[in-house]
Amino acid sequence: MKFLKILFSLFSIIFLISCSSKYKSKITFMVGGAPNEVTFWDKIVKEFEKQTGIEVEILKQPADTDQRRQSLVIALASKAEDPDVFLMDVIWIAQFSRSNWLEPLNKYLKMSPLSLNIFFKNVVSEVDTYKGKIIALPVYIDGGILYYRKDLLKKFGIQQPPQTWDELINYSLKVQNFMRKKIPNFYGFVWQGAQYEGLICNFLEIASSNNGGVVFDNHKIILDSPQNIKALELLRAFIHYYKISPPNTFTEMKEEETRIYFQKGYALFERNWPYAWILHQKDDSPVKNKIGIAPLPHFKNGKIASTLGGWHIGISKYSDNKEESWKFVEFILSYNIQKKLALNLGWNPGRKDVYDDKELLKTLPHFKKLKHIFNNLISRPNLPYYPLISETMQRYINASLANKLTPQEALKLAEKEINFMIKRYKE
Amino acid sequence: MKTYYKEDLKTSFIFLLPVFILTLFFIFIPVIATFINSLFRDIIFLNKRFVLFQNYFYLLSDSGFWQSLKFTIIFIIVSVPLEIFLGIIFTLVLNYEIPYKGFIRVCVLLPWAIPAAISARLWELIYNYSYGLANFLLLKIRIINEPVNWLETGFSAFVALVIADVWKTTPFVAIILLAGLQAIPKEIYYQAVIDRANFLQRFFKITLPLLKPAIIIALLFRTIDAVRIFDLIYVLTKGGPGGATTSLSLYAYKYYITGDFGYASSISVILFIISFIASIIYLRVGKFRQEVL
Amino acid sequence: MKEEKLIKILFFIATFFVLSFCLIPFLYMLIISFCKSWDIFSLKEIEFTFSNYIKILKDPSLHCLDYIKNSLIISGISAIFSVFVATLGAYAISRLDFPFKFSILLFILASSMFPQISVIGFLFKLMKILNFINTYQALILPYISWSIPISLWIMVSYFSKIPKDLDKSALVDGCSWFQAFLKIILPLTKPGLVSAGLLSFLFSFNEFLFALILTIDYRARTVPVGIAMFQGLHGELPWGSIMAFTALSLLPVIIIVTLFQKHIMQGLTRGAVKE
Repeated sequence: MKFLKILFSLFSIIFLISCSSKYKSKITFMVGGAPNEVTFWDKIVKEFEKQTGIEVEILKQPADTDQRRQSLVIALASKAEDPDVFLMDVIWIAQFSRSNWLEPLNKYLKMSPLSLNIFFKNVVSEVDTYKGKIIALPVYIDGGILYYRKDLLKKFGIQQPPQTWDELINYSLKVQNFMRKKIPNFYGFVWQGAQYEGLICNFLEIASSNNGGVVFDNHKIILDSPQNIKALELLRAFIHYYKISPPNTFTEMKEEETRIYFQKGYALFERNWPYAWILHQKDDSPVKNKIGIAPLPHFKNGKIASTLGGWHIGISKYSDNKEESWKFVEFILSYNIQKKLALNLGWNPGRKDVYDDKELLKTLPHFKKLKHIFNNLISRPNLPYYPLISETMQRYINASLANKLTPQEALKLAEKEINFMIKRYKE
Repeated sequence: MKTYYKEDLKTSFIFLLPVFILTLFFIFIPVIATFINSLFRDIIFLNKRFVLFQNYFYLLSDSGFWQSLKFTIIFIIVSVPLEIFLGIIFTLVLNYEIPYKGFIRVCVLLPWAIPAAISARLWELIYNYSYGLANFLLLKIRIINEPVNWLETGFSAFVALVIADVWKTTPFVAIILLAGLQAIPKEIYYQAVIDRANFLQRFFKITLPLLKPAIIIALLFRTIDAVRIFDLIYVLTKGGPGGATTSLSLYAYKYYITGDFGYASSISVILFIISFIASIIYLRVGKFRQEVL
Repeated sequence: MKEEKLIKILFFIATFFVLSFCLIPFLYMLIISFCKSWDIFSLKEIEFTFSNYIKILKDPSLHCLDYIKNSLIISGISAIFSVFVATLGAYAISRLDFPFKFSILLFILASSMFPQISVIGFLFKLMKILNFINTYQALILPYISWSIPISLWIMVSYFSKIPKDLDKSALVDGCSWFQAFLKIILPLTKPGLVSAGLLSFLFSFNEFLFALILTIDYRARTVPVGIAMFQGLHGELPWGSIMAFTALSLLPVIIIVTLFQKHIMQGLTRGAVKE
């Protein structure tokens, strides 16, 4: 009938319109981050294009890590050919690899000047390997470190940064009492305690430094251990008992909040990621040249622990340009580019050799210490549903910090709930 | 048995075919498919298998689910009456005879007409701790002494959401009430004036009772809409801080992104059932009669 | 009388309250979009500038114009089809007699109230199989389907106002149902068509969840998702640019509401309240 014909022609118009735009380049690279980072990627990509003649289109994402994950999940779940290559947060790699979205890189590595040995071994084996195959490589490594005011420690005759938590508490109380005369809201130790992923990083560090941590045994999680309870007790004590951490630690303190607090000169110790160093050393920073970094303290018979963070690069299994994508991966992981990323964005390279670069150490002297710290990185549970586990832990641990639950209650309840969740995800 | 003309049946079938096909494929079948999917363990990194109601049993012990259910219900209980209350004020203004009525109506329609995601961004800036309009005004008028961290605390984030949602949906309530208001015959008011009833008496004894059917419809309509709230929360608070403002839709969405489709589907089914019950109440109370046709 | 005057004053105050309640966020948006700094506490030094607008329009990787283009095309096509399909159905419902007529109408009306999250799982899988993810079709098809109920309801109410005798006389004069429909009845429902079209357009333009999940990037993404994802510095957002982008993308909506306020209101009242 007549209107069926009209209907059909109208529908064909839609298809014609939507088939119009195609990607103009050979490979598409999905990356997000701060605007200065994304602008820098523009430059790197142009360099790559000049060097190899392969066109790259950058699909820019926002800075928020959840939003970056979401667009990648949709693209990969729909088996789209683009993006070809992308950056992943360390905690997503498990989901991506178990969902079979990542192209194994072993065969490319074999024929490449890049060798696995130049990367941090623990990182590669824990995070980048799945079923014996390498499915991602580290571009940028992160680990929690302790920033300290060396000028203040010197004033009190303290030669070394604290190595145990007891020392940290002692130093904090001493300096705090003195500094409070001038700065009433001076605190000894600022760290991230708000209800978000960063809290788990902090908790993991202090728990692991007591030989505890998030342990998996026979498909069950063990959170309710005496080591963990003691660690959580200590975190709580920082805020409520010793009062060396501000009361808004568990409501507001995230990376930027702690950085700004420390940078203003209101704190003696700060737990944060290495990114803060460059900012603390800016010309207008009140703490410029007054700070040092050290590994985080540990319990008396414990060990040094630092939570692994950072971003890794991977190739989509559904990419239609895998060879070219690998060339791009090689380029990003090359010595020069990794050095550039360090100098311009303060990114800690995934390759070990860059840390010894003389030119680099002139501007970023703390890299020497970082290399040592990065050999003790603890990774968060490498599970595809880790974000869900993290959320449950965040809820309970934060409630304990807020004094709504005792550490034992919090960890016990979290453990119970997570084990229930894990049952569903058993093979 | 009513007799139907054969040509009637044939023609009506053809005229309705596109409607049937489209709503079937993109509304009804997806809902049924989601229900079926909720009976499976459908997780992207595991093998799929039929588990009947196991997902629902897990839901019962899932504290995150109960938290999001509680949040959704409390959100509805707080925001919908607020919208109705403000909507009544709005609709009285809309109905009043003043110059530039058209301009006023355009202004009132605007919050409703824009995408919820965009309004969320506007409010995100308004609620900004360091340089947002909210803290600026509140500090200036000295209602508070220190800036409020709106989006970082559970309670203030809830308040922030309610205000933003009420801002956006009150116009809609106002328009529905306006139809009801304009249906009240003017003679009643004239009679009341003659009987020396003052403004308050006229409002509470005539307007409000006669507006009741429209209010009930607005109430139900808004409830059904508020149950599925997603856009505003996703952009403004992302369900935070720490899941305090996660609605059922957002909770299901989180599981979809994690790759646990079966579980997400079961949450969606629960949400659907709640919404469906509310819709049935709406259709009943709306007294939709056959004569309409 | 004193009371009348008091009421008048009250209404003016109420009107002022209503207007400021509705408009303040928009005015705030405009002001920030034209300022260099978005810190309202330091706004004493207001520097009027176009730079935010220029910045977002000049940078092709921000894809601002792409999002607006996608939204306009998708919403436009969805609206046209939705009204077209709904009008056909509404005619059948109001003119012709067939079994379960009323229940079908109610059922379709109820479907617009379903939560979108309850269908997105299946829709994603469907679009993936059809290879429609990140294309216009992926959004147009659901948008048409989801705006049919409201269009249908509006058109049914308009059709029911037109006396059936008009049809009968046309039929007697030798027209077929379809001709009667096209030439006689349809022109009388023009305002209804406009209302339904506008409401469908607004629904499609404002929709978020489907656009979020069925698209990946600028090739098919719409304005709401584009603005939600528009971010910048780690911790510090370029609010000036965000507000500029918002202002630009709201232009179509503002124009529509201003020009067609009457139609929209009529459509809403018919669509929700029945006498």
